[in-house]
Amino acid sequence: MIHDAQMDYYGTRLATCSSDRSVKIFDIKNGSQILAADLRGHEGPVWQVAWAHPMFGNVLASCSYDRKVIIWKEEGGTWDRLYEYDGHDSSVNSVSWASHEFGLLLACGSSDGSISVLSCLGDGTWEPHKISNAHTIGCNAVSWAPAVIPGTLMDAPSGPKSTPVKRFVSGGCDNLIKIWREEDGQWAEEKKMEAHSDWVRDVAWAPSIGLPSGTIASCSQDGRVFIWTCDDPAGGSWTPKLLHKFGDVVWHVSWSITGNILAVSGGDNKVSLWKESTDGQWKCVSDVNKGQGISSGPDETRPEQ
Amino acid sequence: MSLLTSHARIVRHEFGTSLEELSRSGHRGTLTSHRDYLDVVVAGRNILKVFAIEEEAFVEKVNLRVGRRTSVNYSCSDVAWHQLDDNLLATAATNGAVVTWNLSRSSRNKQELLFAEHKRTVNKVCFHQAELHTLLSGSQDGSMKCFDLRRKDSVCTFNGQSESVRDVQFSPRDYFAFAASFENGNVQLWDLRRSDRCERMFTAHNGPVFSCDWHPEDRGWLATGGRDKMVKVWDMASARPRELFCVQTIASVARVKWRPERRYHLATCSMMVDHTINVWDVRRPFIPFAAFEEHRDVTTGIAWRLPHDPHLLLSGAKDCTLFQHIFKDAKRPADRANPEALCFGPRGDVAFAAKEGLSANDPARRALPGDRRNPFFFIRKAPEPYDASLTQQHSGSVCSVLNVFQRCDAKEKLNPLENESESFVELAQRYCLAGRPFAELCDHNARIAMELCRHQVAQTWLILKLLYAGGDASPSPALLPNGGIFCGKDGSSGLGGDGMSERGKSEGHGDGGLEEPNEETEGSDVENLTASVGLYAAAAGLYSGNGEEERLELLDQDTTTSDFPEFSLPPEAFALRHEIVDGPAGLEHLQTNGPDGPGSGDEDGTDEGMRSACQGKVGGSTAGLGITAAESVSLISVSQPLFGQTLPPEVFAPAVIAMLEFYAERGDVQSTVSTLIVLGEKASGGVDTLVQEHWYLSYLELLQRFRLWDVATQVIRLSTCAAISALNHDSTSLNLNCSSCRRALGAKGWLCDRCRRCASVCAVCHHAVKGLFVWCQGCSHGGHLKHMHDWLSASPHCPTGCGHLCEYT
Repeated sequence: MIHDAQMDYYGTRLATCSSDRSVKIFDIKNGSQILAADLRGHEGPVWQVAWAHPMFGNVLASCSYDRKVIIWKEEGGTWDRLYEYDGHDSSVNSVSWASHEFGLLLACGSSDGSISVLSCLGDGTWEPHKISNAHTIGCNAVSWAPAVIPGTLMDAPSGPKSTPVKRFVSGGCDNLIKIWREEDGQWAEEKKMEAHSDWVRDVAWAPSIGLPSGTIASCSQDGRVFIWTCDDPAGGSWTPKLLHKFGDVVWHVSWSITGNILAVSGGDNKVSLWKESTDGQWKCVSDVNKGQGISSGPDETRPEQ
Repeated sequence: MSLLTSHARIVRHEFGTSLEELSRSGHRGTLTSHRDYLDVVVAGRNILKVFAIEEEAFVEKVNLRVGRRTSVNYSCSDVAWHQLDDNLLATAATNGAVVTWNLSRSSRNKQELLFAEHKRTVNKVCFHQAELHTLLSGSQDGSMKCFDLRRKDSVCTFNGQSESVRDVQFSPRDYFAFAASFENGNVQLWDLRRSDRCERMFTAHNGPVFSCDWHPEDRGWLATGGRDKMVKVWDMASARPRELFCVQTIASVARVKWRPERRYHLATCSMMVDHTINVWDVRRPFIPFAAFEEHRDVTTGIAWRLPHDPHLLLSGAKDCTLFQHIFKDAKRPADRANPEALCFGPRGDVAFAAKEGLSANDPARRALPGDRRNPFFFIRKAPEPYDASLTQQHSGSVCSVLNVFQRCDAKEKLNPLENESESFVELAQRYCLAGRPFAELCDHNARIAMELCRHQVAQTWLILKLLYAGGDASPSPALLPNGGIFCGKDGSSGLGGDGMSERGKSEGHGDGGLEEPNEETEGSDVENLTASVGLYAAAAGLYSGNGEEERLELLDQDTTTSDFPEFSLPPEAFALRHEIVDGPAGLEHLQTNGPDGPGSGDEDGTDEGMRSACQGKVGGSTAGLGITAAESVSLISVSQPLFGQTLPPEVFAPAVIAMLEFYAERGDVQSTVSTLIVLGEKASGGVDTLVQEHWYLSYLELLQRFRLWDVATQVIRLSTCAAISALNHDSTSLNLNCSSCRRALGAKGWLCDRCRRCASVCAVCHHAVKGLFVWCQGCSHGGHLKHMHDWLSASPHCPTGCGHLCEYT
């Protein structure tokens, strides 16, 4: 079962990961997918993969139920392990690379409730920073803020150009969404946001292509998707807006590269695309029905007690 | 004894209340539950106790280790409770002794028999299910012994002819059969009546097989767990043992126990690393069905409490605790696992993988295209059935199918928004950003935008041209007359405060007209498919048909009612500006609808534009009208002063800035940056440089994503932002070596200090190279691009004859 699929920066490669412990890389050419590599190394289901910015070469991070995070690098056509991190006590559920301005910087969220931020020190060594007890019961998703928070630019017209702040958002089993920010090398919780009534499954910080405000999308087990916006450059106040309440668990939210279209996938095996209209309402602009899910068949996967 | 508060129904027992006892109890090997299922025996190196399982706690009943002397015979590695006799226990000792205990003895010492026949540790003892007196043991010395409890010694010895026996299990279905697992990875099947050789032997695992367990119901199903982190289920009933299932765990498997009443479930615990007890659905080979994570150290023994109750599990661990788990409290990693993957590609395509249902093989079920009522839909691109599992027919429920959905071509549905990314690339490549007069640039770009159905953008370019180039160089005659007429009329009166209020008043009118423009929009949509630049120009001019007349009337009224003197125009323009800034918000929908305005009433449109901007409620195509109208406002507002009086461009700069910001806000940073570049000095003053920088960076980022390096470079070069232009100076220095002596060249240029020769000589024609020069990084030789190319297509060696195999990429 595929748990995650990610296209690389140019959209020419697709990495998928699966519970069969494998990470597969497909070349997408002319509408077809050719298996280019099969990365073996994890000992449990692989939950998520993430591509780093191409300026670092072809670098892929994967995280697994086996409590490990592996960073892979392609050199000369072969993929090798660049680094393996095993500092978590439970399944690692999410990995996310920071914007390339910050170098190779990876956030990992785990079921043990902690979040690790791994940074590459340049000489090939990696330094982990662990945020313990970030989310009780577990952290399900992490997503970095773009390096430039536009609000800070717009509202501080003549101020000196400050170094961009490292921020990321995480969502967990405590139904909370938290924003973390680095201060003097330490990670501190900047904001705690509550709206969901069940586990938060995915969070996605929108890319800031020309957008004037920070935007985060979050989805949850409770079927709801929220769009959080922040017009305050200090990042102080985030206002949630309910995008839609779906009938089933919403697993993923994903932004288009310009950050104006949001793709949402839910338990009903459907993908829908949403776009904000003039008046700030989110409208469904597309609905991709897989048509081959379990929607029409009996629900054979009901958990047995 | 303590009770976990968070899991009220999990009974937990800590051995001893004082530290002293805890340390003595140390390690416990294993446990079995009593036949009455009310008692549990716990055995370990330093412990052998029977506990009664009560509602909320374990209560110690008997301590079988009595007396001061601690015999090694009691250092247990395994314990078994007889299925038929409540009082009969057997333990296996690390010194090779097999001891039986009778709990019904009245004395404190309950030991009954002691068999000291094995030479090394006995790993396992097992009672026969039906025979009262038959006990089987498996030892590290490689042999298995069968004891009759009525005799003082073993009945027979089975020699496995290999390394240590890790587990022995009587088959629940075959009276005489038992299975034994070995350290070398083999599993043997024996018949009790034949002690000379095994019935069958096969290699089950790579490395030791620590545990095996017969399925309680399915005849011949044997589960084995090994150090190779796998659990395998074998069909022993067939002639050759056949592997039915294989579960991959994350740590070596120490114990395997089938779950009662659940055909495909089994529980495992690990020998190291992993402290959790996992319950697997063997059809789902990678993710545990349930997990119990209470233990803080390695779990050493597991037992289902009742033979027909799948909900109670007992476990003991090295952390000196005994737990009774209730299944409801288990974590469900399989449910927690994300069954779907979704990714938005940079080209607007969507990759989506989802769980495949059991009936997915049905060819009649196909992926449906998206709902056509919505503006974009996708086609499925090259379906890629992807087997995540080791496709066994049972495991259909855990397969995924990966699809990449591509935006549909605009052929079926002429929607300008289709394939946004392609038009992005087109525009990026074809936009002309410099090198021609301003008006020409605008025209060129407008034409290109038009060709790509980006009507709004095209219009913007035309308006910009009007604004800044004064319209005199306009190649589209339709535009000028229209604009001219109106401007003439308006110019004298100005679009005064009354005009504004008039517009405000007609808001109510606009309400009524809501339906109508809607229809018109659709109509004009179709019309627009055939729209040419001519029609387009009319759109830019904006007044045609009824709308024009209405507008004319309105303007006439304005003329009569307006008493404003001409020179009050600048403030009016500013008043208008406010509207303009709001107006563009309504523009959003133009893209989805194409240019409509021309056929529709301008007044309605204007009102609607206002309305949508102010109230923000008119969505979808309706707003489309408002858009052109809103554009028209900006057009009027600026064209009037333009023709009526000569105003400095600063007057409309705010509108332009608002336009830039609008595009940026909408994510169309391409339009923002392109217009910004073309406008150059004209507009850049009004926008904060940091904002500009952000726009530029965003656009460059996008260009790089689409690998449009040359465009990106051009943008950097043309940018008015110092910080952006500086990007081109990054990492541009090249260190050169002299081609003859290989010494690094200094800053002096092409003359080598040492050998006093010109370093930039072509290796092929021996002339100095001007223009493109290509070098080999290995031998420093090079020359004219063309010469080198020709040479190397014929020979792989360096043309100088230095013997280097040059690589030019």
